[in-house]
Amino acid sequence: MFEIRFTLNSLAAVILAVNCMLVSPTTSMAEEEQPLIDLLQSDAPKAQKAITCKKLAVWGTAKAVPSLAALLPDPELTSWARIALEAIPDPAVDNALRQALEQVEGRALVGVINSIGVRRDPKAVGNLIPLTKNATAEVASVAAVALGRIGNSKATAALRQALVDGPDAIRSAVAEGCILCAEKLLANGHANEATQLYDEVRAADVPKQRMVEATRGAILARGADGIGLLVAQLKSDDPVITSIGLMAARELSGANVTKKLMAALTKVAPDRQALLILAMGDRGDTEAVPALLDTVQNGPTGVRIAALEVLQRLGNVESIPVLLSVAAGSNVEVAAAAKASLKSLPGDGVDAELIARLAHAQGADRLALIELVGLRRLDALPPLLKAVDDTNLEIRTAALIALGEVAKLDNVSILIGRVLHPAHAQDGPVALKALQAACIRMPDREASAEKLATALADAPPSAQGAILETLTAMGGKKALQTLRAAANSDDAQSQDTATRLLGSWMTVDAGPVLLELATASDGPYKVRSLRGYIRLVRQFLMPDAQRAAMCAKAWKAAQRDTERKLVLQVMQRYPSTAMLQMAVEATQISSLKKEATEVALAVAKKTNKQAEVKKMLENAQQ
Amino acid sequence: MSRQTKRVNRRQFVKTVAGAGTLLAAPQVIPSSALGKDGAIPPSERIVLGGIGIGNRGTYDLGCFLQQPDVQFVAICDVKEKRRVAVKQIADQKYNNSDCDKYRDFRELLARKDIDAVLIATGPNWHATAAIHAARAGKDMYCEKPCTKNISQSLLLAETMRRTGRVFQAGTQRRNLPHFAFACELARTGRLGKLRRVYAHPAGMTSKASGWLPPENAPPIEEVDWDMYLGPAAWRPFNHTMLNGFHFEKGGGYMGCFEESGRFTGGGVLEWGSHCVDLCQWAANADHTAPVEYNPPENGQIVATYADGVQLILREKDWLPLGSCPVRFEGDDGWIETGDSGKFVLSSPALLAGRTVEEIGGYPATFHVRDFLDCVKTRSQPKGNADTACYAHIACHAANIALYLDRKIKFDPVLHEFPDDEQANRLRGEALRAPWRL
Repeated sequence: MFEIRFTLNSLAAVILAVNCMLVSPTTSMAEEEQPLIDLLQSDAPKAQKAITCKKLAVWGTAKAVPSLAALLPDPELTSWARIALEAIPDPAVDNALRQALEQVEGRALVGVINSIGVRRDPKAVGNLIPLTKNATAEVASVAAVALGRIGNSKATAALRQALVDGPDAIRSAVAEGCILCAEKLLANGHANEATQLYDEVRAADVPKQRMVEATRGAILARGADGIGLLVAQLKSDDPVITSIGLMAARELSGANVTKKLMAALTKVAPDRQALLILAMGDRGDTEAVPALLDTVQNGPTGVRIAALEVLQRLGNVESIPVLLSVAAGSNVEVAAAAKASLKSLPGDGVDAELIARLAHAQGADRLALIELVGLRRLDALPPLLKAVDDTNLEIRTAALIALGEVAKLDNVSILIGRVLHPAHAQDGPVALKALQAACIRMPDREASAEKLATALADAPPSAQGAILETLTAMGGKKALQTLRAAANSDDAQSQDTATRLLGSWMTVDAGPVLLELATASDGPYKVRSLRGYIRLVRQFLMPDAQRAAMCAKAWKAAQRDTERKLVLQVMQRYPSTAMLQMAVEATQISSLKKEATEVALAVAKKTNKQAEVKKMLENAQQ
Repeated sequence: MSRQTKRVNRRQFVKTVAGAGTLLAAPQVIPSSALGKDGAIPPSERIVLGGIGIGNRGTYDLGCFLQQPDVQFVAICDVKEKRRVAVKQIADQKYNNSDCDKYRDFRELLARKDIDAVLIATGPNWHATAAIHAARAGKDMYCEKPCTKNISQSLLLAETMRRTGRVFQAGTQRRNLPHFAFACELARTGRLGKLRRVYAHPAGMTSKASGWLPPENAPPIEEVDWDMYLGPAAWRPFNHTMLNGFHFEKGGGYMGCFEESGRFTGGGVLEWGSHCVDLCQWAANADHTAPVEYNPPENGQIVATYADGVQLILREKDWLPLGSCPVRFEGDDGWIETGDSGKFVLSSPALLAGRTVEEIGGYPATFHVRDFLDCVKTRSQPKGNADTACYAHIACHAANIALYLDRKIKFDPVLHEFPDDEQANRLRGEALRAPWRL
């Protein structure tokens, strides 16, 4: 594994050490560490020392620290040394890093400070505080952040002071440090102190993003009492400020927070209301439901739609009357959103309640409930069967569509009847779509296809094509048999439809049928069938051997160069030895020599058989 | 309250209610009926986007963004001049102007107040560091995967997004594809019975890291900014072989190494793991945790175990031919397997329960990009948010640590440490080269 290109002699020692570690990673670390330390202390190339640092990050101890620390001033190795030093969990590292603060400068110093921050060394606070006043803003800034990561009282006090009197150039970093300290206070149960610190940052002259972060913290640290501050953000005209309010609304915990947020809804502008409602949805708290139900009935469209969206998740059976009423309302967009909510409304009693209501519903409510039976796929066949005979076209149409969604295998014949013998002419096309929807989703597709195949015999010519299309969408053995029979029938229309549909069949099992039609002694759709067969070979997943075999059959069946070129494309698309052989053989056809040669060479290139193909082509041309 | 909350269907909401425009900047919620027939969105209401490190993958992502009518791409930052020029050309052609600005240092791009969000597609060496800088600059971001190089970066990334209140979308676009979502839903909701095993394709099980190659003459900084390219990675001299950002310092590799082929692997199980393990996490209802035990590879498999006993199995072989990035979920009552073909195979058609699941092959990122943009407007959490990405990546990093140490390791997903395992704990993070920090 260890494959860096360097002079072999100088690498030998490292390889030996690394191999030892790989073979036996749990052996004594002291035994493994010494060769690595020796290498660091040697005049080995820096590349080796770099990789050795990576190894010491895992296996090094306090013994390795002096050698690693010695690399810190080296601009090329300082980052490698820090990889090891940050990882070794020994106080010797902290001592070394603190000492290095006096010994390195520039980027190396920044790196050392960062490492101290990562290790959260409390003893370094006294060293870091003066560094926040360093003339180089980059050094002062990382010192401030490191103090924030350490976050003890002394570090916090220093950062507080810097927030007030520190130079502008480091104010952002100081604020970041303060926020880190506040987070630590909050995590340790000192919410009041955290709140105070967050508020100090908010009040200070800091970049907007730091103020936003402090505001979030100030809201969350206050718990339920943070609602006022949160609402104030939502009222802001500044989208950045509003954004943090919306984020906090999703995070804030505490008693009655959801209720208080909903109570605040009317205090903000409508666009903010909609966004706050979405935030309520993300909180997932059902306490919001009563207020949401009020909201969906009046007010700006956008706010109502937002509330309806949230009720999809939070609503329950008791939400049904209001949602039904809104679904039957005149505002098209709101009504659609209400139906969408009812479609997904959670809760045990929802389905039963909707079915019960359908039995007695009238007018717009009845129409909405019929649609919902379909959308929720409810077991409510009797009222639907009654509705498909209704005098109202809208009701009949909705009922047929719903029937398509809920019908079981035993009910397919009902839909077939409506297709073949519609009571009203307008019902026929709707019933056909419903039949297709029902058949396609049936778990037992073969049984469903059997019923359709039986119906096909009695179907009027206008419905036969649609039934064949349904069978094609379903797929399966019986459907394929039926299509094959139609393609071989004496009826020209059936032949046309069936061969067209077989050409779009979605599984490879149509291959033999298509090949049979393509190679029949007569028949008007031989070329179409062959192209359908080639499509299967070109597009569908199958083992290489099967594809090659089908390719060969297609080649044999092809009578024209147009189809032969399609087969050549397949050979190029799926390169293999078998395809290569076929392509080479194809070069024998003079009209296709150029194309076949190109394909053969392309296949050869992909299969790494250029030499073989040259020989094969030479042989083929002899 | 957890950040990962029950989300409403924001996509539908934003489409229906706002239709377009930056909601927070809009004077009022706009019904779609009030929008213009062409759906055109005034520039003032578009999400202003910048790009950081836009190579091959980034160009694809950018194309997905440019398809969205509510996006205005204004600036490209890349350490390579060729990429800066190429991306500027794409943007300028799109808008028929010459307004796209070029930057070599992403901090200059982030300093622009007019930019709302950034697309980060640098290469894994930079992802977490750039994302955290972007968040601190107040930008939302879509960040390609793998998003982090180690466990520590994963945690800091999530923590920073929370602190800064920014919207983060990992480039785990399969979370927004219907067949993958359906598969995860079956597992998550108990339709497969008690879940037993979730399988992920890692696309790699070697633990390697980019090394230090012989120095070459570096090109002028205007052409390639090597120092900026290295960024948070430890210093090494210029060598053109390392300029493949897709592989460089991918993370998960703990052994300094250079392959003779010149291809820097190093991702270990991260390459597809950040997609497939991410989906397994979702399927196992484990978006906020990670497996507690990891075994080294055996018979081509890495087996990890969640606290509830569900096994996460990373394997290279024995997949159905359903395309790249396959996953498989097995429960007591059934199983489902799916992949990038968009198709899925069920143990029983009854699991479909009459539903029609759209089969979208080719793993497009368009839906994922749309999810991100909607969340930029509503401030909700996208599907590949920082918390979910954090734990999916942690699972991959922990598996890589087991791979590297070549022994079983245990992980505490609450304390985020390997109990009584000093070596594993040391591998949780790695120092960044100065001046970079997280």
